[in-house]
Amino acid sequence: MVHLMLDQWRKKLVESQLTPELVEKIDQAVNRRINSAGFDPWGLDPETVKNVVAAMLPVYRKYFRVDSVGAEKIPEGRVLLVSNHGGQIPLDGFIIGMSLIVDAPKPRIVRGMFERWATHLPFVGSFFGKLGQVVGDQRNCLDLLSREEAVLVFPEGVQACGKTVQHRYELMRFGSGFMRLALEAGTPIIPVAVIGCEEAYPSLLNIKPLAKLLSAPYVPITPLFPFLGPLGLIPLPTRISVRFGEPLRFEGDPDAPDTEIDLKVERVRAAVQAELSEGLRLRGDRLFTGSGAHAEATVETDTANTEVVETTEEKVIPGDGKN
Amino acid sequence: MEKTELKPKLLITGVAGGLAQLVVDLLARKYRLVGIDPRPLPDGIRFPGEFASMDYRSRRLDELFRQHDFHAVLHLGRLPLGYLAKDSDRFNVNVLGTRHLLELCARHRVQNVVVCSSFHVYGAHPHNPLYLSEDDPLRASHTFPELVDAVELDNTATAFLLKHPEIRVVVLRPCNVIGPSIRNRISTFLRSRFCPYSLGFDPPMQFLHEADFARAVKLALECPKRGVYNVAGEGVVPFTHAIRIAGARAVPFAQLLVSPLGLPLRGLGFPLHLADYFRFPVVISDQPFRREFGFRSQITTRDALNDVRSTGTEEE
Repeated sequence: MVHLMLDQWRKKLVESQLTPELVEKIDQAVNRRINSAGFDPWGLDPETVKNVVAAMLPVYRKYFRVDSVGAEKIPEGRVLLVSNHGGQIPLDGFIIGMSLIVDAPKPRIVRGMFERWATHLPFVGSFFGKLGQVVGDQRNCLDLLSREEAVLVFPEGVQACGKTVQHRYELMRFGSGFMRLALEAGTPIIPVAVIGCEEAYPSLLNIKPLAKLLSAPYVPITPLFPFLGPLGLIPLPTRISVRFGEPLRFEGDPDAPDTEIDLKVERVRAAVQAELSEGLRLRGDRLFTGSGAHAEATVETDTANTEVVETTEEKVIPGDGKN
Repeated sequence: MEKTELKPKLLITGVAGGLAQLVVDLLARKYRLVGIDPRPLPDGIRFPGEFASMDYRSRRLDELFRQHDFHAVLHLGRLPLGYLAKDSDRFNVNVLGTRHLLELCARHRVQNVVVCSSFHVYGAHPHNPLYLSEDDPLRASHTFPELVDAVELDNTATAFLLKHPEIRVVVLRPCNVIGPSIRNRISTFLRSRFCPYSLGFDPPMQFLHEADFARAVKLALECPKRGVYNVAGEGVVPFTHAIRIAGARAVPFAQLLVSPLGLPLRGLGFPLHLADYFRFPVVISDQPFRREFGFRSQITTRDALNDVRSTGTEEE
């Protein structure tokens, strides 16, 4: 009984939120690999994807007013998306995934690589799996790329997700694993910048001892969490924009020494930083207001944003000098 | 009658099991068959050849090799859990029996040996990448001593493969083999009215129809390749969906049974060692087998699941 009611409710949700064109788009993105039982080789369930997109579309459009720029630059076939990371929960991964389904001219299912500990959590791991996400493992990544999938990585790692609000949009050190994989699979890299997620949960403090105790990567204190209890879990309604850069192509030996690989990694990092700076410049100080579409026109004349550009660009330099 | 004399001779183990019977049906016309099994043949099954009920450790097996000149040996029989009361007895039959059998193959210069292992040997580890290859470590025995014999049997067979380059050895590691005539755990679960699963976990699983696996065994026997190969079906399907397609009701109690709370219920025969396989994925890549043996599963995952209940099933 409960099952039937839930099913009906889901159907209604999908019908009310998704236009037939959008359903068609999702089908296009997943259908080529669906087996007789209705799943793709990584356990993705197209129905779950549709349900989640339907449920989250108002959040994406109305709450975060996401503005997606440059999705048309993503080439067909295998591609590695490299993004900045922040905001306590992987909201950025969700935004990128949504934007490539609902806002891209050619919809793609983004394959995120989730943390290994998530596999132990009931519901979480299986839910991610049905959305086409896989455990963060090099083998999985290579497998996906060799089958022409779009893989999303956050080379800053999970620690970056927990950075406190005063360090927002400071790119941390990039790991080099993604570059070796990209070279091995001959995959173009798309630099991605997500702006707005890092203020949705402004972490004031990361309680490291508690994190260690819970063996969690970090434990944030935000103005609302944990003091407001579950209410504190609601993200602030920041306006989010996601920017996809020009594809970068690299050639070389995937087994080259770190010094060589790091030079290439640094180019990707600079490209992500460039997108990030441009996005921050366009946003200016209008953190919560305005819709994505109007941002460019109104902010262009804003004087306050020059300051932002300077500070972010300064932050690139120490990273450059290091390598 | 002269013609039958020219047919090559095969020794097949485990012929009392459902799977071996399908293999026997496929091969009976082309080969002369000798079947052995520690278990008696089930009622109503007629073996198209010579059958002997014997332990694989028995001296009678030596005599069988002296009497017959086997072209190939198909080792399909591994005693299931619960057949013998003591785990150590099962270990002896399965592992020492396999060792004895393989030694005889080497001594009597049997040209072709096919050993049936299982995907279980990889172990259900939360960090498993999807698509395990044949080179991945066999972790099954780390958590569950019930699976030690499965891993040890596999090790024995792969060691034999390396030690005897003159013999064509093929070790097959199939995914869940299901079907109406097979009586392994997973098929029995999918056939029953209620099938347990772990609440909150829904690992992708692979299923291979018994007829497809019988074909895979025939290919392994007849293709001139040697090595260790995973064998899988058409696609993956999360476990609860598989249960639903098979027509059973999914009940979320598997985890409870493993916990101390489930202690009084354990008599029901839930295989505790499979609990992890209900939580974490063990998905195997069968690309090498498809590429080198030209194997194509002919029955889709959905059809295979639909077929577990079909008539002609003799349940225990």
